[in-house]
Amino acid sequence: MKRTLIATSIAALLALPASAAEYKVGVLLPFSGVYAGLGAHIENGFKLGLEHFGDKLGTDTITMLRDDTEANPGATLAKAKKMVLADKADVLTGIVSSAVLGGLRDFVHSSKTPLVVSNAGNDAATGERCSPYITRVSFSNGSITRVMGPWLAEQGVKTAYLMAPDYAAGHQMMDAFRATFEAAGGKVIGEAYPPLKGTKDYGPYISKAKASGAEALMTFFAGGAAINFVKQYAEFGAAKDLPLYGAGFLTSAAYVHVQGAAADGVIASLHYVPTIDNAENKRFQEGYQAAYEGKLGSEFAVAGYDSARLIIEAIAAAGGDKAKFKGELAKVSFNGPRGPLKIDPATHNVIQNMYIFRNEFADGKVTQNVLATIEGVQDEVNGCKM
Amino acid sequence: MLTDPSFWLVQGLNSLQLAMLLFLLSVGLTVIFGLMNFVNLAHGSLYALGALIGYSIAEASGSVFLAFLLAPLAVTAVGALLYITLIERLRSAGPLPQVLVTFGLIFVLMDAQRYLWGSDALGVTGDVPFSGTIHIGSEPYPAYRLFIIAVGIAVFAGLYLLLNRTRLGAEVRAGVDDAETAAALGVNVERTFFLVFLLGCGLAGLAGAVAMPAFSAEAGMGVEILVPTLVVVVVGGLGSLSGAFVGSLVIGVTLTFGTALFPDFAGIAMYAALVAVLLLRPQGLLPARS
Amino acid sequence: MTRHLLALALFAALFAWHSQAEYYGFELLAEIAVFAILAMSLDLLAGYGGMVSLGHAALFGLGAYLYSWLGSDMVGLSAPLAILGAAFGTGVIALAVGAVAVRVEGIFFIMITLGFGQMGHEFFFQNKALGGDDGLFGIQRLDLSGIGIDLSDPGSFALAALVSAALVYVLLAWVLATPFGAVLKGLHANPNRLRALGLRVLTYRAAAFAFSGTVAGFAGSISAQHTQFITPHLLNWTTSGEVLIMVILGGLGTLVGPVVGAVVLVLLRHELSSITDYWGAIMGGFLILVVLSRQNGLVGLVERLLPGRRG
Repeated sequence: MKRTLIATSIAALLALPASAAEYKVGVLLPFSGVYAGLGAHIENGFKLGLEHFGDKLGTDTITMLRDDTEANPGATLAKAKKMVLADKADVLTGIVSSAVLGGLRDFVHSSKTPLVVSNAGNDAATGERCSPYITRVSFSNGSITRVMGPWLAEQGVKTAYLMAPDYAAGHQMMDAFRATFEAAGGKVIGEAYPPLKGTKDYGPYISKAKASGAEALMTFFAGGAAINFVKQYAEFGAAKDLPLYGAGFLTSAAYVHVQGAAADGVIASLHYVPTIDNAENKRFQEGYQAAYEGKLGSEFAVAGYDSARLIIEAIAAAGGDKAKFKGELAKVSFNGPRGPLKIDPATHNVIQNMYIFRNEFADGKVTQNVLATIEGVQDEVNGCKM
Repeated sequence: MLTDPSFWLVQGLNSLQLAMLLFLLSVGLTVIFGLMNFVNLAHGSLYALGALIGYSIAEASGSVFLAFLLAPLAVTAVGALLYITLIERLRSAGPLPQVLVTFGLIFVLMDAQRYLWGSDALGVTGDVPFSGTIHIGSEPYPAYRLFIIAVGIAVFAGLYLLLNRTRLGAEVRAGVDDAETAAALGVNVERTFFLVFLLGCGLAGLAGAVAMPAFSAEAGMGVEILVPTLVVVVVGGLGSLSGAFVGSLVIGVTLTFGTALFPDFAGIAMYAALVAVLLLRPQGLLPARS
Repeated sequence: MTRHLLALALFAALFAWHSQAEYYGFELLAEIAVFAILAMSLDLLAGYGGMVSLGHAALFGLGAYLYSWLGSDMVGLSAPLAILGAAFGTGVIALAVGAVAVRVEGIFFIMITLGFGQMGHEFFFQNKALGGDDGLFGIQRLDLSGIGIDLSDPGSFALAALVSAALVYVLLAWVLATPFGAVLKGLHANPNRLRALGLRVLTYRAAAFAFSGTVAGFAGSISAQHTQFITPHLLNWTTSGEVLIMVILGGLGTLVGPVVGAVVLVLLRHELSSITDYWGAIMGGFLILVVLSRQNGLVGLVERLLPGRRG
């Protein structure tokens, strides 16, 4: 007993100088272009995460590098190469657009650079195009809407109309919903996919969906499109005949205050809502609102926050050993603002709760009333070979 | 669906609403082109500026009407600044340098907007006039859209009178027709250019302010709207008020009914219309000069 | 002649940089080479032929997709054939588009190329078999191991791309010196005179469009090999706008100008964007300053500063 104790202390002493490792974290986010808003949220969250969990680093240090990805895969690849090859970044994080993630995948895989994805939801990134070096803390597109199928069927809804922008994420979200909704006995009786770019007027689509006679409208829209869609939906008085459901980005905390009364009654599913009741979320929201002009921390900000925490916990677990650090990222698990979170060893996608919530508008404010919590939502392996 | 008259009515109103928004934007652009022979590519950025300034005014004062009034004036002031500092200097250099300067301005104005208003989409949180739903027959329809249609038609009527009943209008028509002769006849062409440019900027600002309550405002919205606006200008015929009006209707109808009836081709409908018009009638539907 | 000397000096500088560069430098050089080829092809069209196009990136992207598609399992051509197929396939489509588009001029030409370009963008954006908006990945590079060159090495690839750009410069300079080149310049300067000489102006304009498209398609095939991943973003009109800025920044109708523009813009973009999020405003401001200087881009500025000749 005594001998082992001495041995451990000697080992600890020997390990001390080596444990002061310097880590360079390359943050790749859109700071200009269409996704710049999301980029800002994620970066704010990331910085708050460094602040809240930085003390776990001990003697190790983190230096943050940052560069703008726009929504441009080619330019991002070049910038990622600069971070890794010239600036010697130890880990990359960020990435909002799935196309940008797709463009980076082969580079991070072949250069064995860990990448912590804090938004891009493309199913394939943790499916057939997965990599042991890619860890996703945000979500996969399918996991968000998959939980809505059985839940809607349980509420007695038999027919649904689908609507999402015409691009990969839109189709993945809708396909996942369709599969589980139909398995639960529901029927999709119509669908529409407006062009991703340039659609400002959803009037024609809303009029058409209303005419279909479906019992529910299931949608996915995000950002400016979500604001316009929800507002126009309310203006057309469509909610009465055809209640609106969606992936929770439809009424994200980032902009639900702009939608205001129009968001009232919209039911959606997401991995995070600001009203989740736990100590970690309280700390996150209080810290975020104090640091950023009282703005509510959104699911995007949480993804940045948790990315920072994941990286810090992995650094702490590696104990100064950079080679070990790469393997530690996928082993991290913790209770965060969105509840319990861990990484699936088979795909390196996040395993987390999904919250089905109703937006309620009162006194000029929208709050999220959680109707159901689906715990430990995990993707199928989907062809991923590590 | 196709036999349901309310489908045609509602989609018809949707077409008209989109067309009037496009008209407010394209009319300034087309008259500037007709007179000064250059395309102001930053026109969309002025539209975004109108929406963002309108947002700030509405939030600060609580009155969206005040935003409709002041935002166009503010954008006109920005336009005057751009004209005096950049565009006037290039009057003698020909159209291409002027187009290029406005192309550079797109990037400058967009970043300026991001710096001042951030990157999030913004929407008024206070009361918006005409925000309710009205019933046309049995169909509920957003009243605000009817308001946009009314603004578009009022602006068209106002411009028509301005062009045909006032001295400035006569000067503009003379300038579009033949700037040199107009100048020889004693028209101060440079002054006319300046006034028309300002009017175009003001209308872009008005379009932005009027669109803001319905479509939210964000830095970057100007780039998105630029291409459809250019398409309207070319389809309608350069330099012509009625051309801009007709072009807006054609594109509004193409986009709305295209998406409702042929959703798979929604993305290319507008470009197909553009190419078709350019091939069958390269001068546009109602050009100012034959 | 001054311009050819300038080009010689510029390419010498790029090769010298290559000999000193490391990984990241190689990436930049390959990107510069790709955009230099693309910008030169646009200069041929816009600077010499007077046809300013906002759809040029669509031809570039088309070349990239053709190369990737021809070289993939879907078709299975070898890389050299896929490069040829990409260049000439793009040329054939450019000929078809050009035959229609060249009937209009000036701002109308800008708009019709924009229209065709966006339709192309939409086609690849929607095409699920070619990856839709998520793009195509796993693209192979040309295999030159038979002659001892390993193109999977970033340095060798950047060198090959630079050599390609230099060869394209020589090819285009030669074409401009041929009778075809003379007609091309005449198309811009004095189309009526050519008509009076009995030349079919539209045919020549379409031919120029097709030739320019072939070179753009070739640039696309190199770009696809460089990033080994392509998305419809390559075809978007904003990419066309960037290339047009390169041409104008460098000097319209100078051939060496587009190369200068490509170097400046690629470097500015990468260096500025890591310093500030508002790099777009700085680039836009730079463009405005160049235009306000009333010189023909940076090359025009240099020529003015050099004693003797004026550009």
